[in-house]
Amino acid sequence: MAEFGSFALCLTWVLALGGTVAGVIFGLNPASSSARNEILRRLTILVFVALGASIGSLGYSFVTNDYSIQYVWQYSNRDMPWIYKITAIWGGMDGSMLLWCFLLAGFCALVARASTHYPRPFVPWLMSFLNSSTLFFTTITLFLTNPFRYLKHQFILPDGNGLNPLLQNEYMAIHPPMLYLGFTGLAVPYAFCMAALASGQISNDWIRMTRRWTLVGWTFLTAGIVLGGHWAYLELGWGGFWAWDPVENASFLPWLITTAFLHSVMVQERKGILKVWNIALIVLAYALTVFGTFLTRSGLVQSVHAFASTDIGWVFLLYLGLIVGVAVALIVWRRSELKPERTIESMFSREAVFLLNNLVLLSICFAVLWGVLFPVFSEAFTGQKQTVGIPFFNAVNVPLFLLLVFLMGVGPTIAWRRSSLGQLLRSFLVPFLGAFVVATALVWAGITEFYPVLSYAICFFVLMTILGEVQRGLRVQAGVTHSTQWSPATLLTLFRRQRVKYGAHLIHFGVLVMTIAITASMAHKVEREFTLAPNERFNVGRFSLQLNEFHEEKTRNYEAVQAHVTVRAAKDDAVLAVLAPELRFYPKNKETTTEVALRMGAREDIYLVLAGVDETGTKASLKLYINPLQIWLWYGAILMVLGGGIVALPIRRASSQEALQPVGVSRSV
Amino acid sequence: MGRIFITLVALFAVLAGIMVFQATRGTSSLVLTPSELVARAGQGDLLRIRVGARVVEPIEYRTEPAMVLRFDAKDPKDDKGAVVSVVYENLKPDMFAAGRDVLIDGDYRGGVIKAAKLQTQCPSKYEPAMPGGHPGGVGGAR
Repeated sequence: MAEFGSFALCLTWVLALGGTVAGVIFGLNPASSSARNEILRRLTILVFVALGASIGSLGYSFVTNDYSIQYVWQYSNRDMPWIYKITAIWGGMDGSMLLWCFLLAGFCALVARASTHYPRPFVPWLMSFLNSSTLFFTTITLFLTNPFRYLKHQFILPDGNGLNPLLQNEYMAIHPPMLYLGFTGLAVPYAFCMAALASGQISNDWIRMTRRWTLVGWTFLTAGIVLGGHWAYLELGWGGFWAWDPVENASFLPWLITTAFLHSVMVQERKGILKVWNIALIVLAYALTVFGTFLTRSGLVQSVHAFASTDIGWVFLLYLGLIVGVAVALIVWRRSELKPERTIESMFSREAVFLLNNLVLLSICFAVLWGVLFPVFSEAFTGQKQTVGIPFFNAVNVPLFLLLVFLMGVGPTIAWRRSSLGQLLRSFLVPFLGAFVVATALVWAGITEFYPVLSYAICFFVLMTILGEVQRGLRVQAGVTHSTQWSPATLLTLFRRQRVKYGAHLIHFGVLVMTIAITASMAHKVEREFTLAPNERFNVGRFSLQLNEFHEEKTRNYEAVQAHVTVRAAKDDAVLAVLAPELRFYPKNKETTTEVALRMGAREDIYLVLAGVDETGTKASLKLYINPLQIWLWYGAILMVLGGGIVALPIRRASSQEALQPVGVSRSV
Repeated sequence: MGRIFITLVALFAVLAGIMVFQATRGTSSLVLTPSELVARAGQGDLLRIRVGARVVEPIEYRTEPAMVLRFDAKDPKDDKGAVVSVVYENLKPDMFAAGRDVLIDGDYRGGVIKAAKLQTQCPSKYEPAMPGGHPGGVGGAR
């Protein structure tokens, strides 16, 4: 199977090279025909098929325990369940690069299929830039990280090394693919942008065409990042979900820039300004995905994830230079066509608020990038390596995030071009007073820390502005259809008619829910350590925990001891849950891990970790975290992803005129 | 370029610069290896350090009356390098064992690192490939 997989990979490389070169040749020929574009489309789809064959053969090798292949031997063993054998495909660097190529080629194939309606001179360049991305990652996979290498051994080993126990988790099946879908999805807007510049199709159409693709990438990236946080929360046993580790930051940086683009693109659509700005954001977002890949494969910075000090980092740097260089050259070449059509007239306008939103997001991006690279900078300039951790990221990002959330309430409500004082008062006086009342009530209730109070007050302000917007929409809708204003039918009709606008509100509402959850879990978290013998109790807040018994379990893969703990309400002794935190020992890897026991609730999570069992085997040492409102973080993320999906859905084309803009998006937001 | 655009961009550039500068000054830690730490031991206690090290025996972990993990740590890349003692009063992290690489954040007081945060490096996706492999498939040989 290794031969077939390797052959398919070689074929991919040849096809992607062909697509890149042919795209440039056809693009340079102004009389490029539809037939030529069709050849490019088919070539791009073939790249995806060939990569599918390649990754399929690697998967087959994993499932059939083909330990003649070094990669299969290194990341699986016979005792692993089949699902982990599949997920082990991306358990190491070589396979993860192949997955990257496959997903990227998938996006390229989808764009190729959708491109039949795109302007003819635009298509060859689009296909060329898409295939060039696939070509780069396939080159790395084929020549530097080939997962089909044979194990150099005199005979085929009877069993494999096995996947790291921490990665033997169902989240491994979904988190990396989601994240990679987000990363690879950002290659599409980059290709659109470069194709527009190269072909001279620089009207606002390309922006509208790429916006939906960007949203798709953004939605996957959001889902991937949050799934990673959820996995860390459930698996790592430290009660948190985000540690500002370089790996996390590497995925967060392009997310920030893409979010900025999704806002500033509306200003370009409406006002014809921020043209170069938007191009710069798209290029930066793609460059940051490549930078993140470089960061995690270069050994440049220390992380809780053991990076390889591999020699492939320079290749990513080279590619990074190339994509930025090409973009700068094309912008300079087309600079006369990228001049703004007007300027921002007032600070009190939607375009100014969207620009502010962009600047806050860029500031956060800069701060995070600075934090990641600070060890490198400090060593270069002072000769002494220094680093920054969670306190740095919180000190800079908490106020910036709160400002961003505040702008989220102002942006969709304020008028385009200019708002009068009267309009501002009408829109924001009631939400502002509401937020002030909330802040006062919180202080009166005993919450006196500055940032939590500010955060809750801002969230209430934004909630009121969103509800105000919905109410205004419902009033108009009810007037048109002569229906009841606050009925579900009116709400549904409103949502259907202005899907993009209310999808965006849903995303904002999700952000709001997440902000409240993050604030609560950071500010009011409870952490306790204690030891219990059977039938002993430990009381904390509204809860009482009692150890019942120990339970031992042995599987083919690991040996485990569980402590069964009953959680009761301190008030009336009612049983709320029976939790079973676990200690696992993996004999093959000689590793010990903890399995968290969790009772999720609307009010708080009870998060219990078994730290150890004493020598007599009768006492359990436990660590307890009570995380207020934690579950709402995940619900908020679901709302964001749902909103992203709703906005990204294609708009039904009602007329042939609209058919010229196949991925057009409503201008109503 | 509009006046408002330039004003806002300039304002945020200054604001972000000041915030990042202040936060860096107030929170940065020295990054040291155990050998570098021991070499500086004569200078007295060191506050806010990060040490990347490899765990070596002896390891002592007790959970009563409080969770305390004591272990020695040495340079990951230098077998003959200096060894320092570490105390961590918290839950033993997953995968912690002799031979594992860890990141220790804390203070160096009286010849011992008092760790505030201890993370076992996760040998996840991007481990270096094992030596000895060679391309399979076309042109490859078993």
